[in-house]
Amino acid sequence: MASRSIVKYLARRFVFLLVTYIVATTIVFILPRAIPGNPLAQILSNLSRVAQAKPELIRAAERALMEEFGLGKPWYVQYFEFVSKAFRGNLGTSITFYPRKVVDLVIPVIPWTLMLLLPATIVAWILGNSLGALAAYRRNTWVDKLVLNGSLVVSQIPYYWLGMLFIFFFGVRLGILPTQGAYPQGMIPNWSWTFVLSVLKHYVLPFSSIVVSALGGWAIGMRLMVIYELGSDYAMFAEYIGMKDKRVFNYVFRNSLLPQITGLALQLGGILGGSLITEIVFNYPGTGYLLFRALTTLDYPLIQGIFVILIASIYLANFLVDFVYAVIDPRVRIGQEE
Amino acid sequence: MLATMIKPLLKNKRFIAGACIFLFFLLLGLLGPVIYRVDPMEMTWDYEKPPSAAHPLGTDTYGRDILAQLLNGIRSSLYIGFLAALISLVIGTIVGSLSAVKRGVMDDLLMAITNIVLTTPSILVAILIASYFRVRSVEMIALILGFFQWPWFARAIRAQLMSVMSREYVQLSVLAGYSDLRLIVEDLIPTIATYAFMAFVLFINGGILGEAALSLIGLGPTKGISLGIMLQWAVLMEAVRRSLWWWFVPPGVAIVAITASLLIISTAMDEVFNPRLREE
Repeated sequence: MASRSIVKYLARRFVFLLVTYIVATTIVFILPRAIPGNPLAQILSNLSRVAQAKPELIRAAERALMEEFGLGKPWYVQYFEFVSKAFRGNLGTSITFYPRKVVDLVIPVIPWTLMLLLPATIVAWILGNSLGALAAYRRNTWVDKLVLNGSLVVSQIPYYWLGMLFIFFFGVRLGILPTQGAYPQGMIPNWSWTFVLSVLKHYVLPFSSIVVSALGGWAIGMRLMVIYELGSDYAMFAEYIGMKDKRVFNYVFRNSLLPQITGLALQLGGILGGSLITEIVFNYPGTGYLLFRALTTLDYPLIQGIFVILIASIYLANFLVDFVYAVIDPRVRIGQEE
Repeated sequence: MLATMIKPLLKNKRFIAGACIFLFFLLLGLLGPVIYRVDPMEMTWDYEKPPSAAHPLGTDTYGRDILAQLLNGIRSSLYIGFLAALISLVIGTIVGSLSAVKRGVMDDLLMAITNIVLTTPSILVAILIASYFRVRSVEMIALILGFFQWPWFARAIRAQLMSVMSREYVQLSVLAGYSDLRLIVEDLIPTIATYAFMAFVLFINGGILGEAALSLIGLGPTKGISLGIMLQWAVLMEAVRRSLWWWFVPPGVAIVAITASLLIISTAMDEVFNPRLREE
């Protein structure tokens, strides 16, 4: 019985996210065609003005662009081709890195982004929630004031600006940590100890700038949740019958975590956006850095491809969070959600 | 009514602190460029100079005055924040209240749209849209940002209104034959006013931080200056790795001070007005 309601819940979420993905890809499709002044026509005319490119390369890129966007065909044919290509993982050819495929450019940078984003997000979530719960538990003591006032400020620091401060302080002034890239220039990625160690060294600053600036928001949210829960009937009742504080707090903590899990799903987009920009500040060779290069050269097939992949991964991560939620929350497990 | 609202706020230390910091930066943005009449774009031979009497916050690579840039940047960042917040507030209020009042198919449709926008990473969509425009005005950036941050507010408004609408006084108005519009304006909006104010404050933060993020990757306003554009120039010119701290520290401090003070104001209001947070 229990597992069936989880499946039902997850199936509903899956259909919703699938519909959302189709809407998102449709927006990606419509944008370049709907915006006045047709940016695609502009690139075509601009291509011929790029001095370094050879004429035959320009013509090839032009043909690729026409092919990519299906220009000249009726819009519904263009749309159908676009969506079916997006689902098959064919995202077209880059202009800047012509004739390399968008997929081949994006796939190698994804592990770097994941390696930075996933651990930083999880560590920030755990640390922030623990701090917030501690503050609520010690409400109105100096601990609470320190955590709340600190979090209110820290949560508003953009990841990338904290990254800049860290680069300046630890990298430039103290000179103890490398400030750019994921490994020393000229080194070829391999599994030797020296390489792994230098990757870790390069990892410290971008990782910690994301963790520190992300944890404030979780602490604020968790503190509020725990205060709400401590004032709820079941917690009051537990207190009145003389249950030990620690045990009451344990129940309250677990109940307060649920909304924070939903919160994680909603924050994913913002976290991803922030960490992409952090990559740019650190010249970290991830998706953000690739996107930045694509944006500066107006490489629309590459920009679109990165978006289709990023948005798909956000929805996938959303689904994973839903899954965790369904497993943890007994109300979903026994089928009386909402 | 206003006095009863403001009095308890003025007793809250956090509110006072937040309001003072915000007003200080608001005045810097409003009056700063009028009083400190230095052209933020004027290039001089004093390039990359640390703070001095001639340039209180130093100069950038082109010898432009950082203080002048900062004051003008605060002004346009606040303008973008306010404009984006206004747009989000209007969309959120319309969607949320329509949904709550009309119910049925309208409600389902609007909530489906709301949930889709809510799940879609707004900053990424903003980047994508901005990348297609060669020329971007300050207003356009505010519009792009404001267009994607309303969903959570629409949902909150809908939930709040649904609970209010089951109260007797509202049902009496319905029996009296009030039009939907009159119902919304007279009976419902007053119940969501403080809530809307808090949302507005947080939307301003969204606008300011969104502008900074867009500008940093080169998709900010193409004309004029903002806090984000100052940071972008500093990053482009490697100010951080070349120890030009007077260049990249001030715009970041301004961003954090403005957004944190607004967050403090909204948190303090929650402490004062939310009975579930009041001490017994």
